Amino acid sequence: MILVPLFPLLAALIVAIGSDGSRQTRARLAAWPIGAAFCGAVVTLYFVATHGPITIRFYDPASPASIALPIGFHFDRLSAVMMVLISAVGTIIYVYSLSYMYQDPHERRYLSLIGFTTFVLLCMVSSANLVMLFVFWQFLSYLLYVLAHNHAHAATLTGAYRTFTLLRVGDIAFLAGIVLAYSLYGTLEFPTLFAKAIATPVTLSLLPGWEINGATAVTLLLFIGGMSKSAQFPMHIWLPRSLYAPTPVHALLHAGIINAGGFLINRLAPLFGLSSTTLHVAFVVGTMTAILGATMMLAQNDIKKTLGFSTIGQMGYMIMECGLGAFSLAVFHLIAHGLFKATVFLNCGNVIHKARQEPHFPHIDHQEEEGGFSRLTWLTGFMTTLFIPLLILLGTHGVLRIPLLESQGTVIFLFFIWITSSQAILTLMRLRAVASWKVSAAMLLTLLFVVFVYLFAVASFTAFLYPDPQEVASYFQAAALPNWLFDMIILMATLMTIAGWTYLYMRTHGRTVWTPAWVEGFRTRLYVLFMNRLYADELYQLLGDAVMRVVHRFDKRKQGWSQ
Amino acid sequence: MMDGSIVPWLVTGIPLLGALLCLAVWSNPGRLKASAVLVSIVSLGANVGLSGSLPTLPEGLLLLYLLPIAAGVSLLGQPLHRDHRPSWIMTVVFLGLGLGVLTNPNLAGRIFLLALFGSLIVLLYRHHTALWPISWWGIGTYGFGALCVGISVVASPPLSAITTLLACAILLPLMPFHNGYLTALTRLPGSLPTFIVLLLPAVGLHGVATVIPTVPETVAWIVGLSALAGSLYGAIKALAQSRVRLLLAYGSLSFFSMLWWFITATKTATVHVVVFVGAVGLVTSGLLLAWQVIRTRYGDDVDPQAISGLAFTMPRYAVLLSLLALAAMGLPPFGVYAGFMGLLLTSSLSSSVGVFVLLIAWLTASWYIMQMVQQLLFGARRSDLRYTDLLRTELAALLIVVLVLLALGVAPPKLFGPQKTAPSSSATVESTAWNT
Repeated sequence: MILVPLFPLLAALIVAIGSDGSRQTRARLAAWPIGAAFCGAVVTLYFVATHGPITIRFYDPASPASIALPIGFHFDRLSAVMMVLISAVGTIIYVYSLSYMYQDPHERRYLSLIGFTTFVLLCMVSSANLVMLFVFWQFLSYLLYVLAHNHAHAATLTGAYRTFTLLRVGDIAFLAGIVLAYSLYGTLEFPTLFAKAIATPVTLSLLPGWEINGATAVTLLLFIGGMSKSAQFPMHIWLPRSLYAPTPVHALLHAGIINAGGFLINRLAPLFGLSSTTLHVAFVVGTMTAILGATMMLAQNDIKKTLGFSTIGQMGYMIMECGLGAFSLAVFHLIAHGLFKATVFLNCGNVIHKARQEPHFPHIDHQEEEGGFSRLTWLTGFMTTLFIPLLILLGTHGVLRIPLLESQGTVIFLFFIWITSSQAILTLMRLRAVASWKVSAAMLLTLLFVVFVYLFAVASFTAFLYPDPQEVASYFQAAALPNWLFDMIILMATLMTIAGWTYLYMRTHGRTVWTPAWVEGFRTRLYVLFMNRLYADELYQLLGDAVMRVVHRFDKRKQGWSQ
Repeated sequence: MMDGSIVPWLVTGIPLLGALLCLAVWSNPGRLKASAVLVSIVSLGANVGLSGSLPTLPEGLLLLYLLPIAAGVSLLGQPLHRDHRPSWIMTVVFLGLGLGVLTNPNLAGRIFLLALFGSLIVLLYRHHTALWPISWWGIGTYGFGALCVGISVVASPPLSAITTLLACAILLPLMPFHNGYLTALTRLPGSLPTFIVLLLPAVGLHGVATVIPTVPETVAWIVGLSALAGSLYGAIKALAQSRVRLLLAYGSLSFFSMLWWFITATKTATVHVVVFVGAVGLVTSGLLLAWQVIRTRYGDDVDPQAISGLAFTMPRYAVLLSLLALAAMGLPPFGVYAGFMGLLLTSSLSSSVGVFVLLIAWLTASWYIMQMVQQLLFGARRSDLRYTDLLRTELAALLIVVLVLLALGVAPPKLFGPQKTAPSSSATVESTAWNT
């Protein structure tokens, strides 16, 4: 099992070391170790699913002397699932890159970096303790820097530098969390850490009269680390700036690296489950990121940026799920999203290549279809979005036996599914207004089928990842929101969906929806704001400039050395 | 079996005698440099071979191994030039003096320390120019250090402890006594800055490790406060620098200040303290060597922003500089990271504000080091510049530094010295006050 993370490292070394003459042969040869890592990960998954978790340590956990670099591996269901995902995506991306990067001057560097990144990711998800996880977490920060930049491209260099500095902020918060956890509980070994955190509740006094739970302080700091890697608002700006990297790198970035935040929360689920405050913060941050990411995505005019902001939105969704206590759901989501985004990015690379080679691609000579209004399709969509949530609630409660009454998180999540599916149907209607009951019925059944299969898969996956239902229930309870807030979220979700459908109905009937002039103006300004990505880059630039002005002013005060 | 009292003199004498022998080949720079490197290797061999007979040092034996390595790589990385000959000889002399301070207890050690301060004053005076008036501050600081050592010999506690601490604050730089360190790093010629960046802190740590348990609590508190201020001050000043040597000097000041804070908090010099000093000194030495490579090719006071695109044109240099930068930023698996993590996790830290300040300073290092590296390595290649990748000796010097830093990061700490335990950091109490 230890060989699984080491295989991609071997692949990276095969590509990196050797003469130029054998470069192509070595590049093809290196695909085998990465493929072997995938096979090994599948075997590991089978083994830990049938025999239970395995821990291998190359240090003495009782000795503080080896605390700085305690190399050890912990293979359980979570790490095995992540290893299968990472090695599968890594293998596909590597094989794809062989032809995509063919004859590129940076081919050797990128291929070896893909191998090395896969190695780092595999080691990170199979870490036996928090320090080893942090070691590979930091490696990822640097790898993102080197992956995301082209040496000779000034804008890329600036973007890569900002990416690194921002990720280091998260790293330092992570480090502070580790130090605090060790000082409070005296261990960084996962099982012992969780046991001690549960057994010994600690209260910290930050300021006179302001106390904070120890688990909350630790998890909040660790969460900031997760926010930076998973591009959560307001630490999201590095992701769109990294879009100059080659497309396969993006596929790996969006399918593997960015999931680190979700993985971290799942790895430390028992610790996060002790702090309702952190889970609520995660919910708020995740929701904001999901909404802002999705909105900014709609306003972009560049295919890669659109996909980048789509990823930010999805990561927000994933963190929101964690904030609702649905940890396994977040893992399921990140797997689905990882596979989906890897496919989309690799295809995106093909499209860009094709567009560069063929002057008439994409074809612009065909007329856009006029969207006519179909009452039947509209009615189907409307009824679907009204009744599907009810069916889902009944189905999940009765068939899948998910305790909805006790878990607000699931209900909120279902309402988000509702909004998302409504958005999908709205988009579908705008594209194809076919007045056919067959189409409508197919749409309805497909949606029902997809949603139920998804929920069934999620329920099965939850049972696989967290076999103890009590544990799952405890996370939901820890994440429970105040009743008024819960009711408000449900009410707002309902209103948004119905308002959306009503607006669509009126627009397609050619009726004017009266809105005050200031609302129209505000809408335009809002569009410009989101198109410019909330001017977050500019704000960070201003902040950086202000800091450097202060630094230089400070430097000038002391005459001599710098003069 | 060798008499235990002779061994420290032998360890000290080998480099000093070697320096004398090197004078015999003074007229041939190539042979002189090779001889000086050979003396460093012999010194390292002697230190390793005689380690069993050496007196027990409070900080362990690691620094005795690192000093000859640092001297060797400092010499190896220098270009062959007649003007560098005095600096090569002085590097070997400094090695002898440093080993003399570390291995000889009591009066003999103090005499070697006075000789070290005296040599620094003479060298700084010799290289003083009217364009750099601030170097008087450095000369004054080292003069003050020599005075402190003198007082510590004749005074009784607690005055002797405080004066020793002051002398140590000049060697292992601590604000506001850091001017000597900055002057030495920026003004001394040839291989001297790359060696003394490890030598002075190592000697300072030796003194601190001896004296810190006897220092009054109030003094320790003031030193801790000064250390926190120094770590932030160094980081901010480094961020503002455009000159590489100043940037590295202030950056290392920031890191050594962190160490002062840990020492005053725990009042012990654990193996992690030694690893940290060794690693910070060595990585700064490596970066100074890397900068020396640029100075050799493009002039003494070249602007790093004027050089770019070395990743394309000097790939071996780019790889080694990147690895050194990773180590300097405190990224794993190098010694700076291992030392810092060890200190953070094994020390009893009662001040959350202190930890916060240290982490800010730690974070800032990522910015100024990365900025420096990015300016040099990346960007468009200049067609008007001639690029020559590392020569064999330069490559060997930088590679040794990287490998030693790696060894410091991954090797078990018990290899470096006896395991002293700082007060336990675990707390499993119902309520913990984490405010200052």
